[in-house]
Amino acid sequence: MNAEVPREFSLAERDRRWDAVRANAAAAGFDGIFVPLCLDSTNLNLSPEQRRGTRSDCRYLTGMENAAVVLPTAGGKPIAVADRGNGNAWVDDVRAANRGSWVPAMVEALRDAGLERGRIGVSGLRNGTVSHVRATSGVVNHSAYADVKRSLPNARFEDGTDCVGFARYRKGPEEIAALRNAARIAAAGLDELIEVARPGVAVAEVYARVVGRMLELGSEYYPLALDIGPLEGEQHRHEDPPFGMTPQPGDLVINEMDAVYLGMIAQEDQPVLLGAIPDAWKPVVELQAELYRTGLELMKPGVSFAAITQGVAERAEQAGMHGWSMLHSRGFGNDGPLINTQDGRPDRTTGVEIEPNTVWMWKPSAVSADGRIKFRWGGCVLVTEQGAEPLVPRTPGLVSIQ
Amino acid sequence: MTKLHDARPRAGPYSLAERDRRWDVVRKRAADQNLDCILVPLGNGIDGRYLTQYRSAGVVLPTDGGPPIVIVDSFADRASRNDWIPDPRLANRAWDEAMTRALQDAGMDRARVGVVGLRGGTVSHARSPDGVVVHSVYEEVTRRLPNATFVDATDVVGFARYVKSAEEIDCLTHAAAIAEGAIDEMIQQARPGADLGVLYARVVQRLLALGSEYDPLAIAAGPLGVFRTTRHTNPPHGRTLEPNTMITNEVTAIVGGQNAQEDQPILLGPIPDEWRRVVDLQREVFEAGLERMRPGTSIGELIDFVNGFGETRGGKTLILMHGRGYGDDGPLLSPRARGEKVRNVPIEAGTAWVWKPYAMSADERIQFVWGGDVVVTETGGKVLFKRPHGLVSIE
Repeated sequence: MNAEVPREFSLAERDRRWDAVRANAAAAGFDGIFVPLCLDSTNLNLSPEQRRGTRSDCRYLTGMENAAVVLPTAGGKPIAVADRGNGNAWVDDVRAANRGSWVPAMVEALRDAGLERGRIGVSGLRNGTVSHVRATSGVVNHSAYADVKRSLPNARFEDGTDCVGFARYRKGPEEIAALRNAARIAAAGLDELIEVARPGVAVAEVYARVVGRMLELGSEYYPLALDIGPLEGEQHRHEDPPFGMTPQPGDLVINEMDAVYLGMIAQEDQPVLLGAIPDAWKPVVELQAELYRTGLELMKPGVSFAAITQGVAERAEQAGMHGWSMLHSRGFGNDGPLINTQDGRPDRTTGVEIEPNTVWMWKPSAVSADGRIKFRWGGCVLVTEQGAEPLVPRTPGLVSIQ
Repeated sequence: MTKLHDARPRAGPYSLAERDRRWDVVRKRAADQNLDCILVPLGNGIDGRYLTQYRSAGVVLPTDGGPPIVIVDSFADRASRNDWIPDPRLANRAWDEAMTRALQDAGMDRARVGVVGLRGGTVSHARSPDGVVVHSVYEEVTRRLPNATFVDATDVVGFARYVKSAEEIDCLTHAAAIAEGAIDEMIQQARPGADLGVLYARVVQRLLALGSEYDPLAIAAGPLGVFRTTRHTNPPHGRTLEPNTMITNEVTAIVGGQNAQEDQPILLGPIPDEWRRVVDLQREVFEAGLERMRPGTSIGELIDFVNGFGETRGGKTLILMHGRGYGDDGPLLSPRARGEKVRNVPIEAGTAWVWKPYAMSADERIQFVWGGDVVVTETGGKVLFKRPHGLVSIE
């Protein structure tokens, strides 16, 4: 493992996160931030990104996979609640639910933090501006939260998702190092895919080999998404090994290759064609590379998302084609904002702009004039004061295996 | 072998008869509770999958036999085809609106609605005492339907899930075989000097290659006789296996949504004689427990039998078992979850379990757990796996 790759996040990183959340909470007028018991990823399984996102705030604040968290704004020590009550190096005050309801321990934690009559910002109640962006209904467990509210009738509970979200949005150096390592692992997963994907090789075998490679290199599991089908036809998406299926010559293998390191998710995408690239595709692939580079040039602190998406669209128009932008933040899961000019989703990014030390999944699409050929490629990009740089050096293009 | 071009991903291997069986059982139980319908809200993915085979579905199932209304998210289950529900409604990330409309369209504005997953159940959502329902959606749905009565109905679907059909047992058996294939891989990989993270990766790779959905492999490794070792559910990198390391594991494989689990301890060294006695005791209690797993036996009777078994043989034994199925199945019986609330629940034919009782020396210095998936038949518990009992020794 590279010496610059952290093996764990430091206490300094913990304090940076807590301080950032407290500052956001103070600015919003909250006396404390409350991350309640949230849904598990098996039950709230709307997408791989949302699976990771459900308990992302507790992971961010405590390093624990499942915890409720009370973080007083004034600087008091946070209190966590977890099933067995085991603490870790970050949090020593962890109350046990002991396989029972989490309500008594959460109520006690809020009281002990002096929030019985406080104004409490609840993270995860609804989708935020830059976190839980796809979870329009939030991620909070109903029965536990409703019981906590009933038990504390003098407290005011309001949505505080953005207080944690905007802390997560701006990455610390350790987080950037972790994301860079995750991106390296994802790139190695792509290398494995290119090595093993052949006509006649079972897709489940390819899937397993690629996932196995990333796990060997230190990633946590994250579903590999494979969209496979004929180049000129429809590609179907698989987020589990599709048993009993084999790709055919001429199939296009589109992928979202996610790797997770220290909880942080990087993604690298590399379409692979099991055959020769038709001439009609080549200008679209070349334009896509230009659109990718155009975006890199535009991604600077202070730049609006509209400026990026317009720049990409205009560059494509100059080439007589179309250009779509797909851009979303990277981090602990379900990060945003989510910019997708393809499907016309509502823009929730008002007031948000590119900032230094933000990390993005940047994967624009080039589309032929008649709309018949669409090509997307991309990976993780770090924005610094100097501009944007890919987290791992890769070359845009369509890999052809013949 | 199916060619990709002919086959969109299918949500599951079950027949339409299996769908109708499940719906009928749930409807009957709902009628017994005087419920007008069953509501599976957003958040309860497990019961949604049981009733629809979609990975994350909202369901309104009228008790009177009317067709269910099923809501899925266009971003989940992308491109999947489902013969059970060919035309689900799309939530398009507006679940409160979609679920309210579904209840209204089913005529439930003033109905008694049984909500599944609102709280942990007797035999389902066993580890989720606060339930699995998403707050914002549920709060909004109940606000918009002020004349409807919403009550917890987790057990209505839970007890339907509790008893498995032949198709479900086939899937569970297949999943158990995959888990055993992965155990074979673990035995191949487990050697002094091996990296535990690489072992972990190879075992998961094997599970996936054999056709399982992913579920975290749980693994712990430490010196023989040390029981409080860290349990890993992600690859533990940088840990080299030493001689005389004991590897304990829970290897889960999933087929057709059915979660099978096989547990096979591995020792990187010879088995000491004092351990052999405990391993033998564990085999005896495992087999005796199978004998006792007959329809009509109550959970309480089985707990008492197993927990008292060891003392008559110079050691100690404790029950460790829980239901198998779509996930978070119960009852959950363990040294931490002692089963006081489920003592009167009967063991029934067709129920499936992971059965892995504890055996210990009298001083509890030696502890051994081994087991796997079993299904209850009229004549007792029947194992769904093939490997022999014991502690695998790699010397």
